[in-house]
Amino acid sequence: MTAFKKIEDNLKKEAKNLLESGKVTLVLAYAGGFDEKHPVPYVAKAAADADHLVFNEYCTYNMARYLTRYPLGTKIAVAVRGADSRAVVQLIQEGKVRRDDLVILGIPATGMKNQKTGEVIDAKTTASTINPVLYDVLLGDEIHGVKAGSPYDVLAELEGMDKDARWAFWKKEFERCIRCYACRKACPMCYCDPCFMDASRPRWADKSPTDDGTLMYHLTRFYHLAGRCIDCGECSRACPVDIPLYLFHKEVAKECEAMFGQAAGMNIEDKPAMANFKGEDSDQMLG
Amino acid sequence: MLKKIAIDQFSELVKALAERGPLYAPVKGKEGVVFQAIQNPADVTLDFYNTVLSPKSVFFPQSEDMIRYRITQGATEAQPVPQDSRPAVILGVRPCDVRSFEIMDRHFLGAGVIDPYWKSKRDNTTIIGYAFDVTAAADPADFYNTFGYGAADPEGSDVFMVRTDKTLLLKGMTDRGKKLLDSMGVLQAAGGPDEKVFEETVKKGKAVQTRSAKIDPQVIAKKLVSVFDNGEFWQKAAMACIACGACTYVCPTCYCFDISDETLFKEGSRKRFWDACTFTDFTLEASGHNPRPRIFQRYRQKVCHKYSYHVDKYGCISCVGCGRCTRVCPVNIDIFSIVDEANKL
Repeated sequence: MTAFKKIEDNLKKEAKNLLESGKVTLVLAYAGGFDEKHPVPYVAKAAADADHLVFNEYCTYNMARYLTRYPLGTKIAVAVRGADSRAVVQLIQEGKVRRDDLVILGIPATGMKNQKTGEVIDAKTTASTINPVLYDVLLGDEIHGVKAGSPYDVLAELEGMDKDARWAFWKKEFERCIRCYACRKACPMCYCDPCFMDASRPRWADKSPTDDGTLMYHLTRFYHLAGRCIDCGECSRACPVDIPLYLFHKEVAKECEAMFGQAAGMNIEDKPAMANFKGEDSDQMLG
Repeated sequence: MLKKIAIDQFSELVKALAERGPLYAPVKGKEGVVFQAIQNPADVTLDFYNTVLSPKSVFFPQSEDMIRYRITQGATEAQPVPQDSRPAVILGVRPCDVRSFEIMDRHFLGAGVIDPYWKSKRDNTTIIGYAFDVTAAADPADFYNTFGYGAADPEGSDVFMVRTDKTLLLKGMTDRGKKLLDSMGVLQAAGGPDEKVFEETVKKGKAVQTRSAKIDPQVIAKKLVSVFDNGEFWQKAAMACIACGACTYVCPTCYCFDISDETLFKEGSRKRFWDACTFTDFTLEASGHNPRPRIFQRYRQKVCHKYSYHVDKYGCISCVGCGRCTRVCPVNIDIFSIVDEANKL
């Protein structure tokens, strides 16, 4: 059972020390929202701000997504659970943040809950990443002995479908898409400015929610995240119309891992799969 | 005039409405309940708190073709898309959302240029409002009491519907509404006791409490302008904001749109579709300059538009306290808390 209160106390303590000592300029963590089930992402800038920090089972935000808002060189402490820590690692691999500029406050956790439905979210996402993969300080005890299973187990149903059934499934899911871009904005790895969707010359995808434009947007984003998606599930939780985006991301991640022998965000020594070439890389697409 | 129908006959009512013309009503989908054009009367549900998206899409669809064209050798043939003039009905609109239509009328009809697309749908549609369950607590995100709205207010509806254990009571509030009820043979006349239940429900609705603040539109309009340059206030307010468009899209009173020609293989349409002031490129100019490059600037714009500039320009706050924006926000930003704080400055 994750000791939420203990982690919260440690978070406040660490944040206060880091800000008082000037070791960091800001701490990215969580604070209370309009009620207990709705905490908010929070940026603590002064030591007194640390008093506002909370940690409970609804603190599902991937705070790594705020890292790319600050100029390179900003000293930042960031609270991360398992998958979130992989986002930090991936951002370091991609040169968007430097390891030395960060104090990573790792939070081992199970039993996190989806704010909208209340269901426990461990099984569908972050299955293999309960403990942070990289950290400076651990705010709670590492969790061992949990049968996590493979993060790709949940793909069994989709993989069992034939191609046409799968296409029909995704076309139906995307009918609900309202092009709010909450998925893109919630993602820690979608930091491109401008994003391909912001371009009008050429216009890569229509802006109105037609089937074509919507599919173009999502399929392109899935491929832009190949080898980069760290399986935090934020996109799917952010979606106001409940599209299970994590299923497609996981499938792409599974194929990448099989082809290139590495998963996103596990090791800061890795080079991003799509930006690197190794002699032993799979050449199956060459036939 | 008050009419009624047994709840287990509800599908008969829906069928009768659907036979008259286009019917928009709540349907349960994977995302929750949303308003849809009804093909199958059995799809309609009355079992929900409120819809995910507001009913504005009935009058102001997310995507609307205005002109269709074909590009041929040396010329382009273009036709304006004819407006659907059939009488329509929207069924199951909560009281706070009903009030949003009148606010939107100010933008689409009362700003000097009449929007023919909004007007034709608005003119042709009968609104059947639907009281909240007055025995249940309001959703914690709601704050419609702030605007003086009650959970069972009939104002703004053509017909207002109240649900009891076994019955639906329908009251004609306007001539248009009375005419609709008159034409529905499937309804029965309601008697004195039913009248009493209806009145009691409206009264009980006023006692259902939502979050509320004493906000005078003129006062908040000025207060927000006075803190415009307070960077700390706005950066704190928008600290978590990820600049998606979810709040804008679900909001019943947001009305910004973009217009674009979408062409494929020399055929296409000029259409308008929802835009959001929170998007990065909302104010991006052709020169490449963007007056609002930062998120806190865009979030400030949203709040100030709704609670300040809109008051100056249209005489009312552009918000009905339905709580959708707060519920749908991926980071739980709560506009009520922010406005309440500004109001107390």
